[in-house]
Amino acid sequence: MRLLLLGNEALAYGSLAAGVAVATAYPGTPSTEVLETLEEFKDRFVYWAANEKTAFELSYGAALAGARALVAMKHVGLNVASDPLHSAAYTGVEGGFLIITADDPWMYSSQNEQDTRWYGLQAYIPVLEPSNPVEAYKMAKDGFALSEKLKHPVMLRSVTRVSHVRAPVEIEHPAPPKWGRFTKDVKRFCLVPTNARERKKALLEKWEKIQDIASEYIQTEGSGDVFIVTSGVAYNYVKEAVRRLNIKAVIVKLGIVVPTPRKVADIVDKSAVVVEEGDPVLELQLRSLGISTRGKLNGYFPKFGELDINKVAMGIAKAVGVPYNPPQPPRPPLEPPPRPPVLCPGCPHMATFYILKVATAGLNPVWSGDIGCYSLGINMGQQDVITHMGSSVGLGSGITVAGRHFVVATIGDSTFYHAALPQLIDVVGKSIPILIVVMDNSYTAMTGGQPSPSRFLPAEKITEALGLPTFVIDPVDVKRSIEIVKKAVEIVKNGKPAVVISRRPCVLMAIRKARRLGVQIPKYQVDLEKCKSCGLCYNLLKCSAISKRPDGKAYVDPALCVGCGVCAEVCPFNAFKLEGRKEIWLEIWKQA
Amino acid sequence: METGIVIVGVGGQGVLTLARWLGEAAMAEGYDVRIAEVHGMSQRGGSVEVHVRIGREVYAPIVEEGGADFVIALEALEALRAYRYLKPNGILVVNKRIIQPPGKWYNLNDTLDAIRRSGIKTYIVPCYDIALELGSVLYENSVMLGFVSKLLGLSMPPSLDENNRKAFLRGMSLI
Ligand code: SF4
Ligand code: SF4
Repeated sequence: MRLLLLGNEALAYGSLAAGVAVATAYPGTPSTEVLETLEEFKDRFVYWAANEKTAFELSYGAALAGARALVAMKHVGLNVASDPLHSAAYTGVEGGFLIITADDPWMYSSQNEQDTRWYGLQAYIPVLEPSNPVEAYKMAKDGFALSEKLKHPVMLRSVTRVSHVRAPVEIEHPAPPKWGRFTKDVKRFCLVPTNARERKKALLEKWEKIQDIASEYIQTEGSGDVFIVTSGVAYNYVKEAVRRLNIKAVIVKLGIVVPTPRKVADIVDKSAVVVEEGDPVLELQLRSLGISTRGKLNGYFPKFGELDINKVAMGIAKAVGVPYNPPQPPRPPLEPPPRPPVLCPGCPHMATFYILKVATAGLNPVWSGDIGCYSLGINMGQQDVITHMGSSVGLGSGITVAGRHFVVATIGDSTFYHAALPQLIDVVGKSIPILIVVMDNSYTAMTGGQPSPSRFLPAEKITEALGLPTFVIDPVDVKRSIEIVKKAVEIVKNGKPAVVISRRPCVLMAIRKARRLGVQIPKYQVDLEKCKSCGLCYNLLKCSAISKRPDGKAYVDPALCVGCGVCAEVCPFNAFKLEGRKEIWLEIWKQA
Repeated sequence: METGIVIVGVGGQGVLTLARWLGEAAMAEGYDVRIAEVHGMSQRGGSVEVHVRIGREVYAPIVEEGGADFVIALEALEALRAYRYLKPNGILVVNKRIIQPPGKWYNLNDTLDAIRRSGIKTYIVPCYDIALELGSVLYENSVMLGFVSKLLGLSMPPSLDENNRKAFLRGMSLI
């Protein structure tokens, strides 16, 4: 069967063809669709874990017992899983174990650009690098076989332009899942120091062997006296650049980059142009093999962002000494305005931010943010620091302790379970006076709406068990919520921590549900007579369906409004009027 | 044939689906296809940009600036943003719709006039109006699909449902 598949879908189908039995992940762009695709297959164990570490542990454990298992995550997710990752090479595995990571060059949807191939080097785990969805399919399938042959975990590094690229892919039927049974072997699986020392010796020997096996994944094409060594998505740009520059070159494409096979030194004649996406991981290894390189290290290709045909053609042209004139982009007749990502119209987080702003007026809080949709609160001036999953409570506590600030830590429900539970224990332990706001929309929404643990474990059960004063609000009920949040603010002002849980499901999920049920979604319109151009709705609330007309009055785009009614609660002049009915809609939304 | 297409719009307009439909249609005709999508953060009401490359043998997934044969914009201001991708003889197709960006107010007709006068071959297509006529803004992208399929000489992709087929045919009938 030939399908137009995303790279991530191809990875899933390749794993199915290899008989994957256990698949786990925590959602994160650009890795999410691997598990989303596998979710359809009910004869396997497929699970969205609380975070990447727990996901890794589930699959690693299954592979120790001989099952074929995979774990998928985005590049920064591997940091969370890095503890078990480093032990995995020491014990090895019994069943095939594939660790899929998706890097995000240019940070389309991430806080940093990290190249996960470094982890392969550091943890002694070989890294496969597919260049397109067809190869992603094949390498996922082969990766299981390789892992099982070596009895060693195998990493597969994708990047945005492999994971989120569609191409025609020929797929086979899924193979039946391969489960396993655990066989005890204390010397191998219990990494107490005496055992671990033995394992490290064995690991180093195995690494040599892996380096030889990596040679089998070298492909060379073309002829000439220029050698271009490349891997992954970069290969595609090299192919087209060589064609465009009309030069004769040998393209050496590596399927396994970590460890870089020694055999490359026999193929290339002392010197090579190196083209790779991310950091110079390949280039440094080539240098250590005695090859002199022209690549990122000496400035032939940019050290950050993603490659394209132009950047690659320009670099190769310079390295080889041929002319290249890139196409001249035309200039638009008008400068386009910036259009940053914003909270969706009707997003419950929009109302929560408004409520928090009003309830903390005069306190000049530090807004300690986190990773998820609510980081878009940055557009409302309500995110002052965002660094990683769980940073809101963790860093927020530090900021509180340092400067007697009033800190509001905003965190989504999925992120709360992913990364904030241990931090809560510290908050309780030192009674740190911080206002923690769990923005519970019942989904991991930024990545498309995967289930979050809040669907079976409400956050207040945890915060109350820890003895934290907890208040639950419904953010579309703006005025009432403000009064409740003020109580929590008082507690924090008196030197104690408090928690607010703002609960209303993601509006996108609610819209989907209403459409399925055939329920009309109401809208609001502005009565221009009543609007006094006060700006409260477009300046403070910032619903993206509302704009400021040239005369200062508000305008609601009817195609964007989803009838949450928050603007109507906020407007002091009653200028928003409802079109349609909203009771049934609000109820469906609440149950979404 | 080797064609580079950049499709743009605002998150939520169905840009990804439009690109996938085009890719399916091209694949059905035996072409190799690469579609580079954007997901996650970049989609939330912000600018969305999807690249489609169609040919006998395609490698690079993204179109470079100055390298697109077609820019298809589901929103007028996004047409301005993607303008830099056009080849000098490239073609711009713009939906007659504006989604106000945060901050400043833009007038639809003034924006379209500026584009029309810019010297690039331009089609302005009332996908939004037709979609509303058909009952929902959701059909905007299938009207556009019909229009550009006619331009590109591609047929209707197999996966459209009945309402989207209707919208597709309306789009096709516009040229
Ligand atoms: S809050 Fe009410 S009065 Fe103020 S600008 Fe908005 S619609 Fe007009
Ligand atoms: S009801 Fe008001 S606040 Fe809610 S989406 Fe519509 S315009 Fe925005």
